[in-house]
Amino acid sequence: MQYIGLEPERYQTSWISGAEGIKFQETMAKLVSDVKKLGPNRKLRDAQ
Amino acid sequence: MKEITNKIQAAATKLFEEGKIDVFLAWEQQGEYEFQTNSYVARSIEDVKNIVFNEYSIYNVANTLLKLRDGQERIGIAVKGCDSRGIVRLLEDLQIKRERLYIVGIPCPGMKDPLTAARNHGGFNKKKIEDGLAKKCLDCIQPNPVIYDELVGPEQSPRQQGDRFQKIKELEQMSADERYKFWEDTLSTCIRCYACRQVCVACDCRTCIFDEMKPQWVGRETSTTDNMMYHLVKHAHMAGRCIECGECERVCPVGIPLMLLNQKLIKDVGELFGGPEAGMQYVEGAKPALSVYRENDPDNFL
Repeated sequence: MQYIGLEPERYQTSWISGAEGIKFQETMAKLVSDVKKLGPNRKLRDAQ
Repeated sequence: MKEITNKIQAAATKLFEEGKIDVFLAWEQQGEYEFQTNSYVARSIEDVKNIVFNEYSIYNVANTLLKLRDGQERIGIAVKGCDSRGIVRLLEDLQIKRERLYIVGIPCPGMKDPLTAARNHGGFNKKKIEDGLAKKCLDCIQPNPVIYDELVGPEQSPRQQGDRFQKIKELEQMSADERYKFWEDTLSTCIRCYACRQVCVACDCRTCIFDEMKPQWVGRETSTTDNMMYHLVKHAHMAGRCIECGECERVCPVGIPLMLLNQKLIKDVGELFGGPEAGMQYVEGAKPALSVYRENDPDNFL
């Protein structure tokens, strides 16, 4: 995906157990802040 | 070339006479002109005379094996270097048994593109296009068969020159937006004819994700987004399996440089996993990089 020009920050993978609430919260906060820095996605959107 | 044709025909005749094979796969000339070639299935000794090997026998004949994979026939097959890598791939994927095959290897002197020849031959456009070796043959790294029972013709040396991944490295240097622009321009021309899938030796799934209607994983519209999704998914499946035969790029009617996607994956798989490239050697029971599951995988991307 990176190779065809999408920003790698938009796609993140993480392994979080149902018991790891704090890790989930931290991961989501990081994802949101990463994506906010990039701004709205304009790529791969012409189908809608 | 005529010599090699004769040798293939002799080998096929001998095999049929000895009763070692039921069918023989090679190439034929379909029409009036020598560039009108296709793959050919000789089913009896009378068919052998139709076998032709000329400078346009570019079709990857290993792909034809997929049509015979469910049968019991013993198969004789004539292969070039790239085709033999395709056979190794099919053997690794357990699509066909080695016992069923008798492989006649041809060290390949390089093929010309039949389409270029056809364009030069007729039509309104009388401007001649340079009629050299096909692009896929200029980038060839393995002209000699890697697996064979019998070899005809003298060994050839690889034709690939310079840095194989030069283009890929240039693309990697671009910014994300430039790359997106490049691929948007290229892939938006795709007409979704699926020729690249049909001709691919590594595409050996019986049920294809792109044919499924329920659920429909990838949209069938020829919009840039759906085209990009198609190519992302198709070529991501080729990671560690693409044998670089270049057929997808050759058959593309709109000329999308598909090998740029495949070579990127070849480069990445080589860097991440090492080992021989897909189809370069056949070890019984060996698996390509992404077909193995181990519990102690490091998983460091998570």
